[in-house]
Amino acid sequence: MAEFHENPSVLTKERLKSELAANNVPLPSGDHKKEVYVQLYKKNLTAQNNKKSPPADTFSSDEELPTPVVSNKSRSGKKATKKTDKPRLEDVEVTELTDEDLKQQLAKYGVNPGPILATTRKVYEDKLQKLRDEVADEAGAPDVTTLPKADSSQNGNTNSDQYSDKEDEETAPPEPEQVPVVEKPVRSRGKTPVTVRTSSRRQVKVVEEILNEETPKKTSKNVIEDILANEISTPTGISATCRRPIKGAAGRPLKPSEYWLDESRVQRSISTETRTYSETVSRPIASVPSSKAPVRRGFLSLLLKLLLLAVVVGSLYYVYQNLDSDQVRTLRGLLDSVIVPVQGAVETAATFLGVGSSGATEVTGK
Amino acid sequence: MSSTSQKHKDFVAEPMGEKPVMALAGIGEVLGKRLEEKGFDKAYVVLGQFLVLKKDEELFRDWLKDTCGANAKQQGDCYGCLKEWVHGFMS
Repeated sequence: MAEFHENPSVLTKERLKSELAANNVPLPSGDHKKEVYVQLYKKNLTAQNNKKSPPADTFSSDEELPTPVVSNKSRSGKKATKKTDKPRLEDVEVTELTDEDLKQQLAKYGVNPGPILATTRKVYEDKLQKLRDEVADEAGAPDVTTLPKADSSQNGNTNSDQYSDKEDEETAPPEPEQVPVVEKPVRSRGKTPVTVRTSSRRQVKVVEEILNEETPKKTSKNVIEDILANEISTPTGISATCRRPIKGAAGRPLKPSEYWLDESRVQRSISTETRTYSETVSRPIASVPSSKAPVRRGFLSLLLKLLLLAVVVGSLYYVYQNLDSDQVRTLRGLLDSVIVPVQGAVETAATFLGVGSSGATEVTGK
Repeated sequence: MSSTSQKHKDFVAEPMGEKPVMALAGIGEVLGKRLEEKGFDKAYVVLGQFLVLKKDEELFRDWLKDTCGANAKQQGDCYGCLKEWVHGFMS
């Protein structure tokens, strides 16, 4: 291995170990944090590049781990490693970070984590990974498409996707500081996913979009939409009003009130026809209210009854005239018993209609 | 109208004491067993985890999913249960 990395922390622990072993550097027994190997590697590198012997105070015990991490920055004379140390942390795998580094990395995204313990480490690692992925996505593509895996269980996942189409870049620059404030009202709305609580720029965008979209756009846009929807919906400019159910169809019985309204809209020809008919027949019916159509239905049934009655009476008289006197005599008795109530009924109907004697003459004229 | 279960109501009504982890809403036999295997054998240990995660919903839900494989509903039930208990007895 001729070349050595300037900053060995970019390598994986295994790689470091193998490199060290290849250079006959004594590895501390057991499995240690990556920093241990990083330090060893750097010492090696220093030794190789500068032809210096490694410092005598090599750490052989575990307790000194934190101190070499800190002191390395001061001890190393290499500006290169100093410069590259900080930003490089962001490229390190989350699993390779120390607790402190993990905490720092999370703080960069605005997360204030609790203690990084054995039981809490994994969730914080996942969170950091998720935040990094989001930033990577945002940097890679203007439109946001993905939310990390942990959110897939959350219901609000698709909401941010829907809102991500517009106004992405506009709201991104202004307010990274407002995120804590913004998060609270957004969360209370219940529209954003629960996971939207970090202050990455993308999250701010989503939050901003939701706020922007909900407050001004929703009110004005939807109102305008509602207004315009009914007016100009077709190229020809013909606007359809609310669909009215077809009267008399699908089991919807006709009602007098509805029927009248219906006539005025659709059944004009039929209505004129019925109106003329109603006018001719209902001339004597002056007392009937001016709205002829509502009464038409009742009138129709009554008319039918009258017609039937007239037919019956007419037939009886016809029979009466054509029969022999004997049978006539026998029938007369019957007829008398029948005619009287019939006449009474006819007269009642006539008076009901207000026909009076004219109706009787009409009937007898047959 | 609350949509919490009877289990939830029972849990938040009194101090948890030494209740087993299965007394938590959303944690049944299977999940309870898994939690116990990981060392969370009492409800108060899960409470401890909840508090250590600073009562954060997202983190707690993720932790629950990682630890015992709880689904979204179970996560939500457990979180809600603990949150309400804390609100009632620790605030």
